[in-house]
Amino acid sequence: MLVANNITKSFSSEGKDVNVLKGISLNLEEGDFASIVGRSGSGKTTLLNVLSTLVRPDKGELNYRGQNLTSASESHLNGLRKSDFSVIFQFHHLLPYLTVLENTLLPFMSAFKPVSKQIEKNAMDCLGRVGIADKAKRLPGNLSGGEQQRVAIARALVKSSKILFADEPTGSLDKATGENIMELLARLHKEGLSIVMVTHEAEYARLARRTIEIEDGRVVHTSASEKNHTGLTSS
Amino acid sequence: MNLFTIPLKNMRRKPTKTFLLLLVFSLGVMSIVALYQVSLVVGVSLEQKLTAFGANIVVKPSTEKLSVSYGGFHMGDMLLDVKDLQETETTAAIRSIGLNDRISVVAPKLVTMLKIEEVAIAVVGVKWADELGIKSYWATNGTFPQQPDEILLGSLAAEKLEIRTGENLSLYGREFRVSGTLLETGSDDDSVILMDLGRLQEMLGQPGAVSFVEVAALCSGCPIEDIVAQIQTNLPKTSVIALQNIVNQRMSSVRFVQKLALSISLVILVTASAMVGISMLSSVNERKKDIGILRSLGYGKSRVFMIFCLEAGLIGALAGGVGYMIGFGASLKTLEFLTLADGAKPVFSIAQLLICASLFPVITILSALYPAWRGSSVEPSQALVSL
Repeated sequence: MLVANNITKSFSSEGKDVNVLKGISLNLEEGDFASIVGRSGSGKTTLLNVLSTLVRPDKGELNYRGQNLTSASESHLNGLRKSDFSVIFQFHHLLPYLTVLENTLLPFMSAFKPVSKQIEKNAMDCLGRVGIADKAKRLPGNLSGGEQQRVAIARALVKSSKILFADEPTGSLDKATGENIMELLARLHKEGLSIVMVTHEAEYARLARRTIEIEDGRVVHTSASEKNHTGLTSS
Repeated sequence: MNLFTIPLKNMRRKPTKTFLLLLVFSLGVMSIVALYQVSLVVGVSLEQKLTAFGANIVVKPSTEKLSVSYGGFHMGDMLLDVKDLQETETTAAIRSIGLNDRISVVAPKLVTMLKIEEVAIAVVGVKWADELGIKSYWATNGTFPQQPDEILLGSLAAEKLEIRTGENLSLYGREFRVSGTLLETGSDDDSVILMDLGRLQEMLGQPGAVSFVEVAALCSGCPIEDIVAQIQTNLPKTSVIALQNIVNQRMSSVRFVQKLALSISLVILVTASAMVGISMLSSVNERKKDIGILRSLGYGKSRVFMIFCLEAGLIGALAGGVGYMIGFGASLKTLEFLTLADGAKPVFSIAQLLICASLFPVITILSALYPAWRGSSVEPSQALVSL
């Protein structure tokens, strides 16, 4: 479904070019759950940003369902991010001045035409699926970190995303909340959602169907998980 | 819920900042509206006062001028077919033009020449109430005539005739008392005898006849050419002439007040717009994270640009409406306090209110263009660095 071929990306830092990704290739299948692991500065987040089209690669090719995204127009990529791709971050997933429901509906609020009642109902259903329908009218500031992450996940669900890109989704959460989020992701994956997750938590990485280990901008190891994505082992 | 929700909710998120920005821009709009209203009323009032310093339109009979030469000698110009105007018809025609509210004073005159003890002198019949309306700068060493058998002498005429205030002068066999002598004006009025129009018409056996009519028109609301054209239409057989030098002189005074107000308004507007621009620029810097989230959700550059413009536009619309109301009130108070308008008051206009509420959003949007462009140019990757 999503194929990255020989992706390179460098950034300028203090006048020098720093090669962050050095020819990474990977293939994400429909319904896949891949975790990207590696040490800090290894290029995990940059890879996730390239895969989710938030950053254009310097070289290499990114294909999604047969479309070459490397040379695609800005508006085409915007369209993909609006419909097929969703990204959740470690912090600041939500606009603090919009309610939970409004944040969930944000992808549909980019026009002057009001969001339809049907979409609003879908959003409420999705908030129900992640267990926070009762907090739909609250502002994000009144939610816990775990609840905020759930809102971001609900936002991905309401637009029927095909792939969810998660950048350290449990990084700012306590263990119990992190586990809850991971259980939620595992459940959504079972329901058919493809997930690419960056994490440095080995236990959560093992939940994925396969783990891609990155070091110094290169894939050094890929392994298939032995778990069947049913849940976390209690610790 | 739509695109408007984002800027609206963001404005509510920081009520103090939004309030201060609204306050600054509303004060700007208020000052501009107040200055505009005050300058308008003061301009009209000033022009009304200036009408007391002379007419700016002259209506006279149409004539044909013929330059006569014979045998190599130039015999001067001859006026053909000169017919006096009829006082009642002429003044009524002038008063009935479409722009009649712009007509301040209509002063008819009958001019004749006569010899008094070998001194040739012009006698001008006037309607005193109208004449003093356009010549309030006249001053006399006596009084202005109160009775038809009283006359006023120009300073040079009095000198030539060697007659003083209080003495009698015989005109066409009738005795007139000189109620006063004009102090020197530097104009033609210094050389004439001024008397009651009706009495002169009666003595000349020309009831209702006038040689020309002077008109004082207010030109601030419309060009003098429009007034002249309308009088000409009503009086086709006359010659209607605008005294452009007087019009220009008078209008320059009025325009000075209005230009001053406009200049100050522009300074205020630029300052207020700069405040909006700076505020929006800081808002863009503060909201890079928001921009990153929006871009990650598929919001294009144009949508991000629009969000900032909408926010600026909402501030402009609110400040335009509120500023107009307060500015109108302020202009009333200012005119009352400074006693500038001689009772004239600014007129509340829904059209002006709507213009303010639609023009100022355009201005705030224009001042937010650069910040909005900066915001929309932020690449998702740049914005996401802070996430």
